Amino acid sequence: MSTETLSTPVSKPARVDWANSTFLRVLRYSVVRLVTLFITTVIATYLTILIANMGGYVDEIMRNQIREQITQAMISNPANQNMNPDVRKQLIDQAVAQEEQRVGLNTPFAIRSFRYLSNALTLNLGRAINMTSDSGSKDIRLIILERLPATLLLMGSSQLLLFFGSVFIALVLSRNYGNLWDKLVIALSPTSAAPPWFYGIFMILIFAALLKVLPFGGMVDSPPPNNRVDYALSVLKHLILPGFSLVISSLFLSIYNWRTFFLIYSSEDYVDMARAKGLHPRDIERKYILRPTLPNIITNFALLLITLWTGAIITETVFLWPGLGRTFYRAIGFYDTPVIVGLTIIYAYLLAITVFLLDFIYALVDPRVKVGSGK
Amino acid sequence: MKSKHVYTLLGFLVVLSMVLTACQPATATATTQPTEAMMTEAPAAATEAPTAMPKSDRHGGWLDEMDFSVVSSDSAIAQVKAGAIDLYSYQLASSELPAIKDSGLDYTSSYGGSYSILLNPSVFKDTNVLNPFSDRKIREAMNWLIDRNYVNQEIYGGGSLPKFFALTAQLVDYTGVVDTARALEAKYAYNMDKAKQVISDEMTGLGASMGSDGKWQYKGKPVSLAFLIRPDGDGTRKPLGDYVANQLEAIGFTVDRQYKKSSEAAPIWQGTDPADGKWNLYTAGWLPSGLTRDEKNQFQQMYLPSSIQGIQPFLSNTNDDPEFQKLGDDLASGNFTSLQQRHDMMVKALELSMEDSLQVWVIDQKSYSLYQPNVSVTYDLGAGIESAFMGPYNVRFANKEGGQLKVGTNDLFTQPWNTIAGGNWVWDSFVQKATAQGNDLSNNGGIMGDPYTGLAWPQRVASASVTVQTGLPVTQTLGWVKLDTADTITVPSDAWVDWDAKAQKFITAGEKFPNGVTAKVKSVVVYPDDLFQTVKWQDGSPLSVGDFVMPLIETFDRANPDSPIYDESSVPSFQSFASYFKGARITSTSPLTIEYYSDLYYSDAELDVISLWPSSPSGLSGENSWDILGISNLAEANGELTYSADKADAKKIEQTNWVGGPSLEILKKYLDQAAGESYIPYAPTMSQFITTDEAKARYANLAKWYSDHGHFWIGTGPYYLDKVFTTEKTLVLKNNPDFVDTADRWASFSQPKLANAQLDGPAQVKIGGGATFDVSVTYNNQPYAQSDIKEVKYLLYDATGALVDSGEASAAGDGHYQVALTADQTSKLTAGATRIEVAVVPIPVAIPAFTSLDFVVVP
Repeated sequence: MSTETLSTPVSKPARVDWANSTFLRVLRYSVVRLVTLFITTVIATYLTILIANMGGYVDEIMRNQIREQITQAMISNPANQNMNPDVRKQLIDQAVAQEEQRVGLNTPFAIRSFRYLSNALTLNLGRAINMTSDSGSKDIRLIILERLPATLLLMGSSQLLLFFGSVFIALVLSRNYGNLWDKLVIALSPTSAAPPWFYGIFMILIFAALLKVLPFGGMVDSPPPNNRVDYALSVLKHLILPGFSLVISSLFLSIYNWRTFFLIYSSEDYVDMARAKGLHPRDIERKYILRPTLPNIITNFALLLITLWTGAIITETVFLWPGLGRTFYRAIGFYDTPVIVGLTIIYAYLLAITVFLLDFIYALVDPRVKVGSGK
Repeated sequence: MKSKHVYTLLGFLVVLSMVLTACQPATATATTQPTEAMMTEAPAAATEAPTAMPKSDRHGGWLDEMDFSVVSSDSAIAQVKAGAIDLYSYQLASSELPAIKDSGLDYTSSYGGSYSILLNPSVFKDTNVLNPFSDRKIREAMNWLIDRNYVNQEIYGGGSLPKFFALTAQLVDYTGVVDTARALEAKYAYNMDKAKQVISDEMTGLGASMGSDGKWQYKGKPVSLAFLIRPDGDGTRKPLGDYVANQLEAIGFTVDRQYKKSSEAAPIWQGTDPADGKWNLYTAGWLPSGLTRDEKNQFQQMYLPSSIQGIQPFLSNTNDDPEFQKLGDDLASGNFTSLQQRHDMMVKALELSMEDSLQVWVIDQKSYSLYQPNVSVTYDLGAGIESAFMGPYNVRFANKEGGQLKVGTNDLFTQPWNTIAGGNWVWDSFVQKATAQGNDLSNNGGIMGDPYTGLAWPQRVASASVTVQTGLPVTQTLGWVKLDTADTITVPSDAWVDWDAKAQKFITAGEKFPNGVTAKVKSVVVYPDDLFQTVKWQDGSPLSVGDFVMPLIETFDRANPDSPIYDESSVPSFQSFASYFKGARITSTSPLTIEYYSDLYYSDAELDVISLWPSSPSGLSGENSWDILGISNLAEANGELTYSADKADAKKIEQTNWVGGPSLEILKKYLDQAAGESYIPYAPTMSQFITTDEAKARYANLAKWYSDHGHFWIGTGPYYLDKVFTTEKTLVLKNNPDFVDTADRWASFSQPKLANAQLDGPAQVKIGGGATFDVSVTYNNQPYAQSDIKEVKYLLYDATGALVDSGEASAAGDGHYQVALTADQTSKLTAGATRIEVAVVPIPVAIPAFTSLDFVVVP
């Protein structure tokens, strides 16, 4: 954030030009920005609700599923087999009505959609329709919290390793542009076209099925060790394959991107000028290349941090990792709108806050940027 | 420049190799060309090696420990093969059979659901659109259009059974009508020409014409069939649908293949009026209902508008012939007075169902569970390992006591665990069964369901007698039940028939029915003399009479609006119960003797024995002591927990979960309260059976259990739930050394005694001459005891494949039967290649053995 202030003549009493003051400019900018982000969040959340419910069509799907489930339950009870068909139908209709009421189908979707929206915006996550947490609760807060540590562990370790590893290797390669390693990375960068779960399956086949040195999936041995150290080691062992899959699937492309990015900055005129002046290469890299690229690096890093929240849907499924990605996947399968919306709204808020804060961080790290200047 | 090209080429090759790998088909799918008809007999039995019946003086289960974890079915074969798990108890589809066989592992084989082509029977509202399947003869002709053997071989790996009828192929009721069934199977065997001819005649009659392009036209437009094909589930319905679509196209129909998931298809085939014409065909799938011995209701359920399914295609099937409608309804309602009459009705219904063909049945699928060769398992022939009550009792390492078995399954803790209205997922119930006494198909605790016949054996029952109303077709097979009849069965005036929730007392028959009340069945169960000394809850508390009474109270109380634990969602199931429950009374507590009066009956007396037991009153797996129910009721009455998901949602509170989540702390709070007050639930009634000292001891034991194990799941079975990890989705079962029985109690049921039949006889038979065929019946290469064989039927076909005669083979010793064809019988044959088939119906297993022999008939 710029710290400039307008200079005023000493002889005259200080008169604050509120209309042009930095404070007001920043305040005005902040309010407009927050309102804009809030509206964007509202629209995105409502669109999520509409999509998750297929515009209300999911109601039809759920009605049929309810009737089918209740009918099957009636069929499985031998007592109902000899029952008069009319009485039986009455019982089924009664149970169906109860269940439809339970999941809220007796309220029109239009009304429910705004209820979902208002609950989401106030972070009143409420209760799931069909899903339960691992411990059996329908409290969405618990559903999320139970899975959050596992997701943060997997995504955090893999994505942070990927990010810092990529930036570091890219820097090294950009210094040695055109050498064998550089060319190898370029050649391997298309491998990132394959998603992590693709590598995951291969890893499982090699290290679990064939070599039998690592587990097929899950987060800990069965039964989990009693000792905390052993437990942590067991988790680490289970983390290797999914984590490595996530890293390897993006590593080469990520290095290639950063390396190209650094190369572009290292060919700027002011870098050539610094070189011509005979500055030490380390100083050139730190002051003339890294510093101007800092806003981009920070942006990437900040967005990376909030993507940790989403988990890796298919990779978690392949490795049976009990993370939020699988929770999201299950919620979609169950048409459990409150859970989908709960996960989405937290992501949306995190994204909005990050975007908002980044504007100020840019101003802090780059003197050329002035918050609210419109430039 | 040169190296740049090399790197480009290298990168391209890497991507190409990955794309090619990803595009590789997982399994072979059906092609369009049918093959020759193949054998329709049951697939070879599972690959278990015969072992001698093991003996043990060890109490509890065979194993020291069972560790359960969640394993994806996609990696199950690889995980068992790699030794990561010893047993995958969940079932794999038969499309996986080739991979299972390739793995060299052992596996079980049991019924896993059936598939049919459901046809829209309605005449469409739009008169310009023709629905061919509104014509019964076209529906019937669909049977000739589908080559079920081809489907079985190409789509289901040859491991399933071709299915023609609503009855489960080759199970109990099918076996009872096997001659008619086989004759109809011969009549409706794949015959493309016949299908084409019948459909052509009918289409012409309906006003359609064949266009010059070989496609059926109606009012100037092609006859297009909307075919809802399910690509989801086990993936086999897609190739099945494609095959049927190909066959329909081959005879001139235009098929609109609509690939839709369950959730997308259901609103169309279930949710729309069939007359709206949104669909013509649907690849339907039906779940197995276990080893069902009585399928008399299947005709009503699978064809008629009075079906319990209650959904549109059935409701719209109103143009049935009245005879089929009445027959289906009468069978479902049990409107027959003898087994012979029932048999005759089933035979007729079988024929009429083929003429109706609202559904064209295709496959009775088999499912498989995998295990290491050093593991021995017992499984339900109808539904697999996880559904077998005896399963946890018999699972073991072959030729070894003890050990730690690693079990993988599809999921765990899918819904909260409580025995009143908790989850009922098959993987969870497998664990729960291990902690409890046996149960039978009628939900009677302390009675062990037979995994091979669907009948029941006494486990904690000393003796039992059943009295049925005269004229009811009930028989017994196993001999441990005393069966008799009575013209009238009067419910005693002091029997409990209802519940006063305010006074917390039972209402007696005398109070509710001053003029008396009768029942169709009376069951009297006498429990062992030492029951309360030998059977203990796993927390150390001895079993008591209160444990038997509490579940019955729970059934009434939850459905009574005057109760503090009233739950509206329990009312429909209670009404079902109330429709047949006539009364119960405890006539003695030493030994415990309980009479039970009911209007619900099964044709097997073994299943009519009603033993009250402290097991789930809702038919779920697991047991419940009166103390755990007591504290759960306290939590519910105070609005902090509730048994059912429905009430939990309505009240916005947690559903009671005895193994995890926020419930545990709440239950602990009420446990402390109950202990402090020496609380006796439903005191006006229960204090007759529970003393204050017993209550104190119970709560102290329960508190210690919770402190040691961190949950409230307690049973009386051979294993106890030691540790639970809900997020990690894993749990540990440990052997219960205090279990009353030794591990070998059910060892004689380790393997299904599936019969193997061989037929031998002359290669040539002269018309008008006699011929004798020898039938050899074995199990593990040893003769099958004659006393274990119910009957051996033979079926004689002519050169066209039509059934010309049938009868019973005569016994000639253990495992040896003879079919002697007389001159009259061979006179019915025509010259050419012909066939004789035998069906061996064993008593120890519900699945018969079939075999056949081809011979030449000469003039």
